[in-house]
Amino acid sequence: MEISKGWNVRKKRQLQVIVAFTIVPLFLLILFTYYPFLEMIRYSFYNMKYIGPRKFVGFRNYVQVFTRPDIIRTLLLSLYYMVGSVVQVALALYFATIFCFKVKGENLWKGFIFFPYLINGIAIGFIFKFFYTRGFVLDTVLQAIGFDLENLPYWLKDQNINNWSLVFTSVWRYMGSNMVLFLGAMMSVDNTLYEAASLDGANKWQTFRYIILPSIKTIVTLNIILSITGSLSAFEPPYVITSGANGTATFFVVMNDIAHTSQKVGLASAMAVFLLIVIFIAKFIQDALFKYIFRNAEAGDESADVARQKKKALKAAKRAAKGGK
Amino acid sequence: MKRRKLLTLGLTSIMLIGALAGCGGGNASGGTEAAPSGEPAAESTEAAAGSTGLTYASVVLGETGTDLKATIKVLNHRTDMLQDNYPGTSWKDYLDTFHEMYPGIEVDIEGITDYASDSLLRLQGGDWGDIMMIPAIDSSQYADYFLPMGTLEEVSSLVRFTANSQYGGIVYGIPSTANAQGVLYNKKVFETAGITELPKTGEEFIKDLKLIKEKTDAIPLYTNYAAGWTMGAWDAYIGGSATGDTAYMNQKLAHTANPFADPGNGTGAYNIYKVLYDSVAEGLTEDDYTTTDWEGCKGMINRGEIGTMVLGSWAYSQMQAAGDHPEDIGYMSFPITVNGKQYASAGPDYAFAINKDSSDDNKLASMIFIKWMTEKSGFSYNEAGIPIATDDNKYPDLYAAFEGIDYVADDVALEGEEDLMSLLNADSELNFNSGGDKKVQAIVEHAANKDMSFDDIMNDWNAKWTDAQELNGVKILY
Repeated sequence: MEISKGWNVRKKRQLQVIVAFTIVPLFLLILFTYYPFLEMIRYSFYNMKYIGPRKFVGFRNYVQVFTRPDIIRTLLLSLYYMVGSVVQVALALYFATIFCFKVKGENLWKGFIFFPYLINGIAIGFIFKFFYTRGFVLDTVLQAIGFDLENLPYWLKDQNINNWSLVFTSVWRYMGSNMVLFLGAMMSVDNTLYEAASLDGANKWQTFRYIILPSIKTIVTLNIILSITGSLSAFEPPYVITSGANGTATFFVVMNDIAHTSQKVGLASAMAVFLLIVIFIAKFIQDALFKYIFRNAEAGDESADVARQKKKALKAAKRAAKGGK
Repeated sequence: MKRRKLLTLGLTSIMLIGALAGCGGGNASGGTEAAPSGEPAAESTEAAAGSTGLTYASVVLGETGTDLKATIKVLNHRTDMLQDNYPGTSWKDYLDTFHEMYPGIEVDIEGITDYASDSLLRLQGGDWGDIMMIPAIDSSQYADYFLPMGTLEEVSSLVRFTANSQYGGIVYGIPSTANAQGVLYNKKVFETAGITELPKTGEEFIKDLKLIKEKTDAIPLYTNYAAGWTMGAWDAYIGGSATGDTAYMNQKLAHTANPFADPGNGTGAYNIYKVLYDSVAEGLTEDDYTTTDWEGCKGMINRGEIGTMVLGSWAYSQMQAAGDHPEDIGYMSFPITVNGKQYASAGPDYAFAINKDSSDDNKLASMIFIKWMTEKSGFSYNEAGIPIATDDNKYPDLYAAFEGIDYVADDVALEGEEDLMSLLNADSELNFNSGGDKKVQAIVEHAANKDMSFDDIMNDWNAKWTDAQELNGVKILY
């Protein structure tokens, strides 16, 4: 009797502490995230500005999201960034694997590749603005290795390639962070596995294919998800380098323009809700796809090692998501 | 594990979306608008003159109140003029000269750095002194705060640009200075190209640009496309410069059917933007418009590497300061002619107004000071502005090329239609004079890529404008 009573008191106290500690963050979360989010959904059904009267218009804003040519164009534009993100993840994986084996001056190279991620996104925009200017950095370098200026394209003016130019800056910036995430996961693979593999005569490709990739597949999945959802919300490169002009306006740039220059808050909110839905759909498709691809591995038991990696990956991903914005 | 993934995703997306929602949510409650104070529109001259019979016209400098002893406080935005190292004429210099004529009137100047917003707070607080520069309040509220200075008819015979500081035919403020909008050019480049007479129409302008391209190494017209906001400068000419009509911009444009169609006589917004389209289409602009450099262009025009740039008069001094050839920088009216006459959009800067609750002595001293600032101080000239007093014809160098050109200051919007232009601007997404840079940039893009004719662009604008007019139930009057 006595013991169980003490147990109850302890439980009660535990509960009190839990409530006391969670109520403040929970309150802040609801006040600053969920409440504005619900309000935004409400706004998306109105024709309204920041100040002044509002008018309920039903689904008109949503109809506009699907019929306005400039908004539809941005969705096609994000395909560029999706292709870019696949290239980005592949390159990051490649470099991480190289660094996983012994390389001379390893830390220096890692530093070089990771460095762009540390630079402020606005600064990167300005760097690349001059980088792509006619006759400036890129053209000079290309001329030095034998190209003729006459034959070089206008990197930002030509609408056939200017989006690739912008995608490149984004790949350049985020590849390092992806690489570090991969590298972290690879480091935690048990060293004895490599040793055993090399004793069995496995070459580098086989080591990668059968040891590294299966051990880090969770983080690869996560990186791909984050890169693709991130490509839908690409904002800084087009906003800073071309200010979204000349056919480079991504979804976020157009949304920003509609929300702030034209003050069509309802339409911009509808765009935001639409983006959320698209991201959810993309996520479920990926989920289904990866479940299919890794169906054999899923059946196997998850070792504590893998679980720990996942935790790490989740944390890193959250950080990346924050930084990626 | 699946749930965790989902949670991460959910949080990530909500963070993304939350960023936007935050913007919307924060401002949603600001729906209250100051109700118009419902003053009768036309008051008698007596009411306008206030209880003491003091008006702007009644003060004669050097005669009225020479033995008056008073200390007045002036709230002003020119904090730079309070500094000892101000390169032009500082407040101290002005006051020293003022004291020669009025030794008894002490003037205490308070400079406010963020004048546009802080002055509104001070105005509401009431304790702001005797003179202030009228901040952005509805003109219907002028009478609640400021001393009437006389009827519009009376004051405007003495002072230019009073349209914005009046309400119901009563003037409440005297502009400190005024500016006109034109086009920057490099005199030396024009000379080398053999241009002896400044262009008066769009066609002449294009011809001159071609001459510059042929005979010099300079870029004929630098668009400043990449900076974006610099392209918005083109909107400044569609009112006064393009029509010569003071009522066009704030009163007629909203009620005009298809305002961007070609009027056929070389005027109107159509012929403003056509200059841009044609220059780009004929290769008279920089090679790669997407990488133009705003900071760099200042030195380039100063050195004679750029022929012309379309920017407001504020840019003139910056271009002069950017290199060793300030004397080469010129400013001319926008090349457009309305019925054989050239006009330039112009507008007043901040206007001086007097506290209606000040003592009678301070009111008189304030009126004397304002009149002195307007007529005797040379303030507007020193600040490279258009003279304010109507009998003052001493224009600064900036406007040397504006001789014979009429300055057109836009009238304020009609009562009850104060919000109309901003509604149409937002609904049409053309945003004239309010950040609509994208549409002007698009002109450059279409001209360079040759994928849309100029008439098609203007038809598109007309369609958007008409939609916005219908959405807001605007009556077509013109």
